[in-house]
Amino acid sequence: MLNKLTKNLNQILLAVGTIILALIVGGVIISFSGNSPLDAYFSMFNGAFGSKQRFMEVLVRMIPLVIMALGTSVAFKANLWNIGGDGQFIMGSIFAVFVTIYSGLPPVIGIPVSILAAMLGGGLWAGLAGWLKVKFNANEVITTLMLNYIAVYFLSFLVYGPMMDPKGSKMPQTEIIPQAFRLPLFESGNRLHMGIFLALIIVIIMIFFWKSTVGFKIGLLGQGEKVTTYAGVSVKKMIVFTMIISGLLAGISGWTEIYGVQYRLLEGITSGYGSMAIVIALMGGLNPIGILISGFFFSALLVGGATMQRMTAIPFSIVDIVQGLIIIFIIARTAVNFKEIKNKIVRRMGHVK
Amino acid sequence: MEEIKVNDYAVVMKNIVKEFYDVRANDNVNFLVKNGSIHGLLGENGAGKTTLMNVLYGLYHPEEGEIFINGIKQDIHSPTKAISLGIGMVHQHFMLARPFTIVENVMLGRKSRKGILLDTKETAKDLVALAEKYKMKIDPYAKIWQLSVGEQQRVEILTALYQGAEVLILDEPTAVLTPQEVDGLFVTLREMKNDGKSIILITHKLEEIVCIVDEVTVLRDGAMIGNVEVDCNTTKAELTKMMVGRDVLFNFEKSNSAAGEKKLTIKDLKVLNDKNFLALDGFSLDVHAGEIIGLAGVDGNGQKELCEALTGIRTVESGEVKLDTINIENKPPLFSIKKGIAHIPEDRHITGLALGWSLKKNLILKTFKDNSKFGLIDEKKIEDRWEKARVAYQIKANSGDDSARDLSGGNQQKVILARELENNPVILIANQPTRGLDIGATEYVRQKLLDAKGDGAGVLLVSADLEEILQLSDRIAVIYDGKLMGILPGGSDVKKIGELMMGKKLEVEQNAK
Repeated sequence: MLNKLTKNLNQILLAVGTIILALIVGGVIISFSGNSPLDAYFSMFNGAFGSKQRFMEVLVRMIPLVIMALGTSVAFKANLWNIGGDGQFIMGSIFAVFVTIYSGLPPVIGIPVSILAAMLGGGLWAGLAGWLKVKFNANEVITTLMLNYIAVYFLSFLVYGPMMDPKGSKMPQTEIIPQAFRLPLFESGNRLHMGIFLALIIVIIMIFFWKSTVGFKIGLLGQGEKVTTYAGVSVKKMIVFTMIISGLLAGISGWTEIYGVQYRLLEGITSGYGSMAIVIALMGGLNPIGILISGFFFSALLVGGATMQRMTAIPFSIVDIVQGLIIIFIIARTAVNFKEIKNKIVRRMGHVK
Repeated sequence: MEEIKVNDYAVVMKNIVKEFYDVRANDNVNFLVKNGSIHGLLGENGAGKTTLMNVLYGLYHPEEGEIFINGIKQDIHSPTKAISLGIGMVHQHFMLARPFTIVENVMLGRKSRKGILLDTKETAKDLVALAEKYKMKIDPYAKIWQLSVGEQQRVEILTALYQGAEVLILDEPTAVLTPQEVDGLFVTLREMKNDGKSIILITHKLEEIVCIVDEVTVLRDGAMIGNVEVDCNTTKAELTKMMVGRDVLFNFEKSNSAAGEKKLTIKDLKVLNDKNFLALDGFSLDVHAGEIIGLAGVDGNGQKELCEALTGIRTVESGEVKLDTINIENKPPLFSIKKGIAHIPEDRHITGLALGWSLKKNLILKTFKDNSKFGLIDEKKIEDRWEKARVAYQIKANSGDDSARDLSGGNQQKVILARELENNPVILIANQPTRGLDIGATEYVRQKLLDAKGDGAGVLLVSADLEEILQLSDRIAVIYDGKLMGILPGGSDVKKIGELMMGKKLEVEQNAK
């Protein structure tokens, strides 16, 4: 028990250390650009937490990011590098909106069906990559990435073509979904919607998911295909299954963004959530609570960065730089894992004859 | 220690200290090798033998200590330097480029005598002459992958000699050889000794080298325990006590209860290996309840593929495997697990354990469904399971939350045993169960195999270690090139087993008589 506690504490300390290190190095880069890093970070912080409005905006950003990162973490735990969150997000959104616009179902049935459709769209898109891996040994990094492009252009095709809003002004977007289907807002004049509860519920579900036999099998796959087969678990089935779970969460993430914020399909809807979800998942140590925390941090970074750009002369790119630095430090952290090095040596000694 | 006259020795290593973080792998070790002698370096796994030799070969740099080669103090900072001083090393895992020929491997890393052109022909000629001098037979143009393990070892030795080695270090040279191949190796080593070369044999199995070495140095836990002159008459018990620090049981009490009914029937099994060649070519064997049948053979003759086929991990091309009357070939692994076929796999790091996982979870790898409630893993139940296993199998670990990676090989194997023997298996397939374990753990694992037999399990013991096979088996089957060469009664003559291991069929030999 104590063991576990220190392990979690270590994890948190490492994450905080990573962020601080990234901010320090980022600060050096800001000062090279002729600005004061303290001013930059202050306006960034202020931009994220300076008012209730801004804080709520942070939460709005957090909803899809956390859900998608949870999905990404499922695949990563199984050692499957699903980097196609964007594509699965888009396919989920397309499926959901399609059902809402064209099925004519009443909201009571229509809302749950649209969520299921989003899960189906995202799940199928990721499951396809899993199937290609099992069937043709196609690397999932390549296939999920390529499927992203297909999804992006398919979305463009739809919003410029068959699904373009007939009453609209020739903008690349679908018609707006009716009020009754949307996620309710907390208060008018603010974008925070009830999807925040959905995100929290999914976090809790994921905590139990990893304690379940299904989570056990996914984690086992991450330990190696040989030991998985040996334990009597089918590697092929698990690869496809894991990808589906991973993708359906990305699909739900798309659903919250459409039904809570955008209310319609439009071009460029993901704006790079996929890559950010990867960073969040990794920084959160693939652990649901960790992902919730790092998701919150990244959302604050995004919202704060946007404010900073408006208030000061410092460009938003600094947010990208900090994000990049965090990725580098996370990778460095695993590459220079001191415990691992020590283990390696001890293990080597174990082989000493 | 009295003042050492460094001039009398080919190698003098004085007060060597080598540390890895907080672990002392070599603790003030003195190691002396006389000119023109064969010297054994004895110790359990982890005693620091290979570390010491890696220091001598320039792979590690000692924190303290001095090295003298032929009486001159040397700083051996790299293998290149070691080679220039006439030190050669044959590693336990051969360092050969498999698609290349023998002569090409010998030429690797050497300057050609013909400038930018390769001097393949000249080298080949030299090589054949060198091989003949030391009574080895080679075809310099054979590709490495076509060679047996023993032949590959010869190539390694030749490479070292060709580089001008006067001191040759051999790391566990006998572990991979059949008895006949060992004899061949010893002929070569004696020739080298007569030629004035010094040889160091690293081993943890004394009996294999006792007749050839002049002197033995024993290491334990990184420290030098003693230096003894030995000959064929030296008893094993005495030196083993030095190695382990206590008396070790060598003779297990084998209960000679009659074997029960036939449990597992393997008939005309054909199985492909990873490269799609036939690994098993019409292999047949029966396993009875309450017996240990030892399957002897040189590594890579289809043993791994057999174990995988029996447990559903590998596809069977043709033939059948029956448990009682049920066909189990090409059934998913879960099927044989449910039917009570336990499996101790050859590779515990990749197959037998989820190394990054806790010990608790490793114990329930195959039974996680039975250890869950409403689809959730029952933490309390697996904590109890762990506690029981820890006590019953004397697993040394801080807690069940430790990752399997942090355990020693012996304790890792105990975790696997605890898992596999939990539900009294009908059949136990143990593939190289004691490989890489120290004497204490080896003793323990072997006892557990006997216990499993006593509990009525049919045990198929696959091992390249003939001593192990002879110690435990009621019947001994020999596999060669994917075929059964014959079945001998337990306690048969080692030479006879060795002949079968090299592909001589039993029937042929009997007909000749």
